Amino acid sequence: MANTETALKECLTSIEGATGVALVDYTSGMALGTMGGSKSFDLNVAAAGNTDVIRAKMRTMEHLGLKGEIEDILITLSNQYHLIRLLKGRGGNGLFLYLVLDQSRANLAMARHQLKRVEEDLEV
Amino acid sequence: MTVVDIPPPLPVRDRTALHERAPGALSPMLTRLAEERATGVLVREHGTLHLAEGRVVHAESPLAPGLDVLLTARGTLDAAAWPWTDDIPAATHRLLVAGLLPRGALELCRLGALYDAGYFALAPSSTPGRFRYGTTAAAGPPGAVRPLRAVPVTALERETLRRRELLHRIWPDPSADGAPLIRADPVAPPPVTPRQRAVLDRVDGVRTAPQIARELGRPAFHTLVDVRRLAAAGLLVPRNTVPPPPPLPPVTDPDIALLKRLRDALEAL
Repeated sequence: MANTETALKECLTSIEGATGVALVDYTSGMALGTMGGSKSFDLNVAAAGNTDVIRAKMRTMEHLGLKGEIEDILITLSNQYHLIRLLKGRGGNGLFLYLVLDQSRANLAMARHQLKRVEEDLEV
Repeated sequence: MTVVDIPPPLPVRDRTALHERAPGALSPMLTRLAEERATGVLVREHGTLHLAEGRVVHAESPLAPGLDVLLTARGTLDAAAWPWTDDIPAATHRLLVAGLLPRGALELCRLGALYDAGYFALAPSSTPGRFRYGTTAAAGPPGAVRPLRAVPVTALERETLRRRELLHRIWPDPSADGAPLIRADPVAPPPVTPRQRAVLDRVDGVRTAPQIARELGRPAFHTLVDVRRLAAAGLLVPRNTVPPPPPLPPVTDPDIALLKRLRDALEAL
């Protein structure tokens, strides 16, 4: 069992091309922990804004009557990947991991796989 | 002849200057305590904040469910395993030492509870806060395990302001936050999420949002978010505790009577 800080650190160090990561409470939009980011890229702002992305997708799925659950969401920018992974923990309080990747250095398939492993480690 | 001097104006605290000096400060007292790295308990109208060396280590509010409720309500922790005591920081510490709960899970849950209670503790109040210097139990006895991370005052204030804005953006009327709620019956009700459904099912004209949060074992702020969304969707309204205004006296003016008859006729169309 990793604590939050080590899990976030692992994301940044072991995932190739990762430049920032945040663990976010999905209802309030609060970042429970962040690591990386920069002056021009405020992870707290990104965390709050991306809760709206998940909410919109969940609502659409409900309208469509889809029964599946969102595992992750990928957003591709011209020079970055943003990866959102929803956590299915015992707490069930709706958390997600938000990972920012540099597109020129990242291996997307690998990053997805590693993020999944971090989620299992986190076990909240 | 006597000359009456106009007395000099009384000194007035310049509130705008005060505001400019500390932008976004919710409690000037708290800011000062953080600067002087104070240790003790700040008691405000809607909750208390425990400080250790100017950082927040614990928060409590009668409006927000405590860590005990959050952990045991959904079975994250067996209710029998919680060391039942009013001293939540001490209980948390004992859980940590006993290893009953993974450190990460406890850390996140406790952080959620702290920001939740902190939101209410920093709500605008009508009475001044009091600060009791002293040791705070939240740090726990030293040595045994690494204590859980303390939260800087600025982080708590920033998050509280962000939460206020979030609620305001969802539905700008705060009257549903504390009043008993009743269900409204719109003609075409919009679909609600399972989370919101659980809240809506408990709306009965008596319960308030914080009471529903406690019953569901959810943070109170999260329930406020759901309540405001439901209010925006027209699915619930706060019960008006103010009595309705007395009926208007009967009108005798023939013009007004004619207009009223006309209005009634148009409405009946």
